[in-house]
Amino acid sequence: MSASMSAPKTRRLGNVLGLLRPLFDVLTAIVVGLAVGALLMWWFGYDPWKAYAALFRGAFGDKWGRADTLFAAAPLVLTGLTFAIGVRAGLFNIGAQGQMLMGALAAVAVGILPLPPVVHQTVTLGAAMLAGALWGLPAAYLKATRGVHEVISTIMLNWVARWLALYLAVRLLSDPNRAEKTVSVLASTRFSVVIPGSDLTHVVWISVLFALFIYWVLWHTPAGYGLRCTGLNQDASRYAGINPGKSVNLAFILGGMAAGLAGASQIVGRPPLYGMYTDLSTLANLGFDGIAVALLGRNHPIGAIFGALFFGALNTGTHMMQYQALVPLEMVRVVQGVIVLAVAVPELSKIFRVWSLFKGHQTVKK
Amino acid sequence: MSTPTQGNVPLLEARAIDKVYPDGTVALEGVDFTVLTGEVHGLLGENGAGKTTLTKILSGLLAQTSGQVFWRGQAANFKTPLDALRQGIGMVHQHFALVNPFTALENIALGQEGGNGLSSVDHGKIEQRLRRVMVEGGLDAPLDVPVELLPVGVQQRIEILKLLYRDVKLLILDEPTAVLTPQEADDLFVALRKFKDTGKTIVFITHKLREVLELTDKITVLRRGKQEGSVVTSSVDSKQLATLMVGHEVIPGVERSQTQVGKVVLSVKDLEVKNDLNDMAVRKLSFEVRQGEIFGIAGVEGNGQTELGEAISGLRAWEGGRVQLDGRPEEQLDPQSIYAQGLAHIPEDRRRVGMVLEFSVMENSILGLQSSPRFRGAFGRLDWNKVRKNAAELIEQFDVKAQGLNTVVSSLSGGNQQKLVVGRELGKNPKFILAAQPTRGLDIGATQYIRDLLMALRGEGIAILLISAELDEIFQLADRVGVIYEGQFMGVYPTEALNRERIGLLMGGMESEVGQTV
Repeated sequence: MSASMSAPKTRRLGNVLGLLRPLFDVLTAIVVGLAVGALLMWWFGYDPWKAYAALFRGAFGDKWGRADTLFAAAPLVLTGLTFAIGVRAGLFNIGAQGQMLMGALAAVAVGILPLPPVVHQTVTLGAAMLAGALWGLPAAYLKATRGVHEVISTIMLNWVARWLALYLAVRLLSDPNRAEKTVSVLASTRFSVVIPGSDLTHVVWISVLFALFIYWVLWHTPAGYGLRCTGLNQDASRYAGINPGKSVNLAFILGGMAAGLAGASQIVGRPPLYGMYTDLSTLANLGFDGIAVALLGRNHPIGAIFGALFFGALNTGTHMMQYQALVPLEMVRVVQGVIVLAVAVPELSKIFRVWSLFKGHQTVKK
Repeated sequence: MSTPTQGNVPLLEARAIDKVYPDGTVALEGVDFTVLTGEVHGLLGENGAGKTTLTKILSGLLAQTSGQVFWRGQAANFKTPLDALRQGIGMVHQHFALVNPFTALENIALGQEGGNGLSSVDHGKIEQRLRRVMVEGGLDAPLDVPVELLPVGVQQRIEILKLLYRDVKLLILDEPTAVLTPQEADDLFVALRKFKDTGKTIVFITHKLREVLELTDKITVLRRGKQEGSVVTSSVDSKQLATLMVGHEVIPGVERSQTQVGKVVLSVKDLEVKNDLNDMAVRKLSFEVRQGEIFGIAGVEGNGQTELGEAISGLRAWEGGRVQLDGRPEEQLDPQSIYAQGLAHIPEDRRRVGMVLEFSVMENSILGLQSSPRFRGAFGRLDWNKVRKNAAELIEQFDVKAQGLNTVVSSLSGGNQQKLVVGRELGKNPKFILAAQPTRGLDIGATQYIRDLLMALRGEGIAILLISAELDEIFQLADRVGVIYEGQFMGVYPTEALNRERIGLLMGGMESEVGQTV
């Protein structure tokens, strides 16, 4: 081994660059996305500078904007965790949407029980986590026993959940006085508002705490070690005596819990409704947006917090973009889509690379 | 020369071929290889001798680093296998290139559709021609069954038919008998002789002495990337070939203390294990390893060693017989239970099995020990402080050169990776060590380090099973040697009773004239 004098210094620099690299990748993706979005807006005759300035003002310009950004980010952290945990275990769990709906239903059902305040909140969140986890288990079971790919099973379960939720919301949980919504949960289980005049409630802390909890499980417990090991190398996992099936189950359970909490957060932490519309409009797409959040956060639990803040800001700033820069909502969605795509491309390609290694398809050596 | 030739120009000639892989591995060094029209040419050598690399260059799959290939006297630069195929060179790889759900006909028609890719394929016409090729070649295969439902021998026939259909002049077969039953191998030989009669030229890669002697006209031997000789088959015998294949260097001596051999630690009796293809890879194997003894299993890779190691370490279920570690129950156990009984396992594929390449040094230092109470803290959590302390000691003790404990192991050299694996496994306080190809791909320094370490552990009274395709290693380390061939021992010998020539014969599947001793 040849060791020149400058080697340690270059090495340290290399280490620092190694750590900065993910951040650099993410920022590149955001810049590319915003640039392509700007081009599109310019092409269709809108002023991109004005639009982005409005977007930024809307998301961060005043305390209400910031509160709204946090409000939008709170459930996205959780659905982002669902996807991120899956990827860490080598899964493509896109079932957050369905698991989230089940969590929301459970929160409404338990939220109308007469229970004392703190207990009621705990029980409501617990029920939502349980419902979300249970909704993930069929996919885990089908994968373990019948080899059904989780993408297929979770998509199907999302649809089953959607129609089941519509049915239950209309038939069982609907508000007798207002047909467009379910009953609202009792005050004993509601989370209070942080900044009066905004929708932001203290439920946002649940998201942060759960992200920290997931980080702790994945990086500081033997089970989490096994889960990450399974996601990276199944041969080495079996050699280490780790049961890949258990890791898969754990990933579905933790992911389902996160998604269930996301659903509950939109019930117990959404003033003034404290329930849901029977057309599920307040819950639309939260699960799917979690995929983009996880990708932006590079499938790290703490990264999911930042990913959720970014997309939360994008969603919140949209209104201002419409009012001030007169960019129609459709164009805003196009810009969002481009950003998601730019973020997703490098990360997805990495996931597929890891996948193909699993299946033993080695790339042809040159 | 008794070999048939057409004119003076060789059909294929490779001159001074060098191949260095991007990772710096030198696979071929100045190799000359000449094939004449109409001959069956055997390419003989151990694992890693460079046989497959050479033929991949000849068939356009790899590019040589330097040297030149000539096809019918003209300089040939095949960029892709398709280039080579158009010129008439086709290769059947060890892993078939068939589309599993497609039938034989569809597989053979693939790429022969012509037109712009949208016009309909005339399967009738293709079938007509294929039937003719099948009759001429004397090869039969069902054409309307998905190939995944067919036995391996038939799949191989379809691969050969694919090339015959494309009218290749030179057929290269990479270890074709490795996947075949003896009956299928006989059928293949009959077919190959028939091809020869119809004017085809064949390059036949193998490590089996009997096969080259039986089938070929000429034999070229490769050893460690160099050409060791090219001989007319009728002029050599198996001993000469064995010597060419394994070399005749003097084996370096190694410090070898007299140890007291103690009680039996590992006992394997009538063990039968199947491979991934559901064929019996280990056939009624029996042996014992005692305290303070290194039992070596020598043999060319792919003769059941992998499956044997996996069965002993709990990674693969066995079909019959038993494995008993330290006198404890002989039922099939999971790896964790076997570690608890005193196993340390240095797996043959350290990069795929022995470590998680994306994990750091610290994370890899507890692979298999992740649930051990040694590294637990409050609430059952993993106490990284304890892990860090242990990893730092491990790195110090086993001289692992890494930038730091948080370095990703994929950035470590092979030698340092292996030291990490070995150090971790020895941290399990084993009674028995399964060391499979422990020095493969390592530089001389790391190799010697690992071998010295195993020798020292033997001195401490640990029982060691050494599975190695490296003869030097076997001679240096083993007290007793079982030579494995097609899942069975050709014999178990005290190491002193063997020399290179004899072990070469045994590895090539030739019965030794001396009766077997234990």
